[in-house]
Amino acid sequence: MALPLPPGLTPAEVAFLCEMEMVTVVPRQRLESLALIGGPTQPLRPPHRAPLPLWLALLLKRQRRANILPPPWLLPSSLERILKQETEIDPQGFSSPPPHPYPIRAVPSHTDTISPPFLPSSTADAPPDYLPYHWLELGEILLEACSDDLQEPGRVRTLLRDLREVRMAKMRGSTKDLQGGGVSSLNGVGAMEVSEGRAFIVGVMDGLRKLGSSRETARREREEDEGAGGGGVSDEDEEMGFE
Amino acid sequence: MSYYDIDAILTDAQKVPTTFELDIPSLGYLDNAAGHTLKSGTRVDLPLWLSEMLAVSATATSKTPSRSLVTLDLPAALSTRVMNALKADPKSVDLRALAQNFYGLGERLLELFEEDELCDVLMDSWRKRAAEISDHASHVGQGKGAGGGVGSGDSVEFLRGLDEWERDLFRRCHDSGKAMKVWMGEMKKK
Repeated sequence: MALPLPPGLTPAEVAFLCEMEMVTVVPRQRLESLALIGGPTQPLRPPHRAPLPLWLALLLKRQRRANILPPPWLLPSSLERILKQETEIDPQGFSSPPPHPYPIRAVPSHTDTISPPFLPSSTADAPPDYLPYHWLELGEILLEACSDDLQEPGRVRTLLRDLREVRMAKMRGSTKDLQGGGVSSLNGVGAMEVSEGRAFIVGVMDGLRKLGSSRETARREREEDEGAGGGGVSDEDEEMGFE
Repeated sequence: MSYYDIDAILTDAQKVPTTFELDIPSLGYLDNAAGHTLKSGTRVDLPLWLSEMLAVSATATSKTPSRSLVTLDLPAALSTRVMNALKADPKSVDLRALAQNFYGLGERLLELFEEDELCDVLMDSWRKRAAEISDHASHVGQGKGAGGGVGSGDSVEFLRGLDEWERDLFRRCHDSGKAMKVWMGEMKKK
């Protein structure tokens, strides 16, 4: 029988994962290095900045032991540029995610496969003008926890709202030209947006798949009949496609 | 699809016009003539699960070449008239009035008939109506605070005409949007 929970993560779970992101703090008190599972933290010496996981930074912020430095992309000017990119320059696609911080070379290295949650995309030295994977939830959390550390929190809030509206509309629109399987590229979509849009997009694709399934089987059978004398290569491709 | 899936059962229970190809003794009560022979060529509406079994099974007599017991026709819900209406404007058709499990019925019949056009029309209207559904799902309840209720008469009309698949999609869309709103609201309270 079906599981009671729908597939995917709930917003609270996504926000929990987001708390693993590294942010930059300006400590007000000294704190020795802590041995966390994710590795030891840098010892905090008051005027020097240090990267900390978001959950620890929030804890220290709440106890007034540190201030959080907002990532550069959360500044109003950067958000405005991203919004312009989304609405005017490229009204179809999503603005691209931040570039990979480690250069990809011909020689494979272990840094090639590090993906968003493990990249410091929200520290003070993150690149501006790109929305990282956890942009929406990180923005919301920072707005609530430390709006006094942000520049113009009111405008940041409105800009985040606008960006979310624009991008959700694009996500909903992406199903209109859907054929059987495969959505137009969702590159650059954040975790929270995925969690919100999943139910709809998966539902639409599932419906299309069911309606098209008989035609698909017919096509496959026909191809199998035709390809019976031909090479086995196309057969293998079909098998792969079916999975 | 699960054996206990109530929607699958209800889909299979929908009636399909079936024409008998053989005389069948004492089955006349299907055609309001109890006790008589059911003549070949009689059209009776039978549930899909039954007519499908009858249509795919063949008579196994040695003399005649194998012939199916019945032939199936497309039900009124999937007739050309409805398809034309869907082609013209998918959003204005009341699918629920046609069949409760409209797409489910379409899916089952597409397995039996090879109708490329029907498949195209169904997929297209599913896609177009889905976009409309997600708009309604994200806006429903927003006017409630102002006493506006669910929305204007148009949207009520549209939402009433959703079939089971679409209702399910609507519900899931609405739930994910609501979960998001709840989370954002919780952030406020902290």
